[in-house]
Amino acid sequence: MPRMRPLLAVGCALLLSFASLAHADTLLFDYVGFDYESPDPNPATFGEMGSGYVGLGTVPGLFAPLVADTSANEYTYVITGLTPTGTSTVGSYLIVDYSVGTLSIYEDSKTTGTTADYGMAPPNATAPSTFTDGTLFLTGQLTGFQFVFNTDTNTGSYNASYTVTGGSQIVNFPLYQRDGWTFAGTSGNALSIPDGYIHQVDGQNFLGPVPARSSSWGRIKANYR
Amino acid sequence: MRIPSPSKSFLRVGSLLLLAGLLSATAAFAAGPPIDWDPAYCWQDGGTPYNLPAGGQFQMVGNVSAFDVPFGDYNAGDPTKEYTFYVSGLISNGTVTIGSPGSQIFETHYSGGTFVLYEDSTPDMAYSPFPPNVQNFTDGTLLLSGSFSSFVVQTNDFTAYQTGNIEGALDWTGGLLVDRTVGCTGLLTGGMTWNSAVVIPGYLFRDDGKIDLQCPTPAGGSTWGRIKSLYR
Repeated sequence: MPRMRPLLAVGCALLLSFASLAHADTLLFDYVGFDYESPDPNPATFGEMGSGYVGLGTVPGLFAPLVADTSANEYTYVITGLTPTGTSTVGSYLIVDYSVGTLSIYEDSKTTGTTADYGMAPPNATAPSTFTDGTLFLTGQLTGFQFVFNTDTNTGSYNASYTVTGGSQIVNFPLYQRDGWTFAGTSGNALSIPDGYIHQVDGQNFLGPVPARSSSWGRIKANYR
Repeated sequence: MRIPSPSKSFLRVGSLLLLAGLLSATAAFAAGPPIDWDPAYCWQDGGTPYNLPAGGQFQMVGNVSAFDVPFGDYNAGDPTKEYTFYVSGLISNGTVTIGSPGSQIFETHYSGGTFVLYEDSTPDMAYSPFPPNVQNFTDGTLLLSGSFSSFVVQTNDFTAYQTGNIEGALDWTGGLLVDRTVGCTGLLTGGMTWNSAVVIPGYLFRDDGKIDLQCPTPAGGSTWGRIKSLYR
């Protein structure tokens, strides 16, 4: 029986380790920018049917398994393809649900590329084009994108599921570790919002946990005999 | 040499216009926020994501991850330093619940409150374990301080990943860099989450936010001669 104690300790440690992995999501990237609608059938309304939600900005933080060189390259993001599928109101809050869209990151040399430029009244000569030049670094599908916005305080947030689908970095994502989620705060109160953009956006993407594989106690013990 | 007061006023106005113009220009060219962090963590004793009782104090500690204009000469990535902030003294006015279960929104406004930002050459801050040692977030040189004129926390019971946002308006009051904010207020904005997969136990929220400078109407194109003529 005493011989079993180290084995039990190792087994418990492994189980705790798996539990921990299964629990924690990890930060994949951090982004800041602005959003607008295109098409925008009713410029006086946000989230109206027939409109398209677009987000543009920079990505100052990129984390493993992404391999980035922020000193040599500019990283920009573009959210596109989202169209409203339904809206509702709760008090002064507007809730907009969207179709499937994409969130992509581009890598562009700081020396030979073009500096991202929001310009005014997007889409324009520099936006989104200066945010989509360079190499497609990472792209993924957004599902369940939901925007919640308080029209009284002029602030809100969004969240969505995110699945990595492509880009030069996809080789760093094992098949079992491509799912995650994104969220952002949004505000219409910032005086720095360029003309023609609606909100400023500050968001993050997380990568979901490594799924724990099912096993039996016998199999775990067998690994350490 | 003592500068006569009319010239001082003139220089002050000129500086303001230059700052406004600079901030305006950088916004178009995809500069980052003046102060950006990832992450910050928030708590209020006795609070939950859905109820932040009246009279309770909301607090936040954070670590700056990037600076930009007009603080772009500071390097948040310098491993020999840490740039930390502490938000405290925000007193809850009580949470207002809007809507029916499953589509409920929880909105909490606060009174009072201050923001302080420090540069520390002995990096020692730690979020975990909760509660944090606030002294490790408030040591070093005071770079900026400010008082909140408004602050709101918005959560809900229906978002898939338990996400909402925090926003507050700041009046700058002091610190080594306060001269760089002359004529501007601050806007603390960002998203936050109470998703247990990313929140350290003990805290209520993980915040991904930033501070923008809210400066007067951006300056249009002009010449130094034209600017001087405005104040003659």
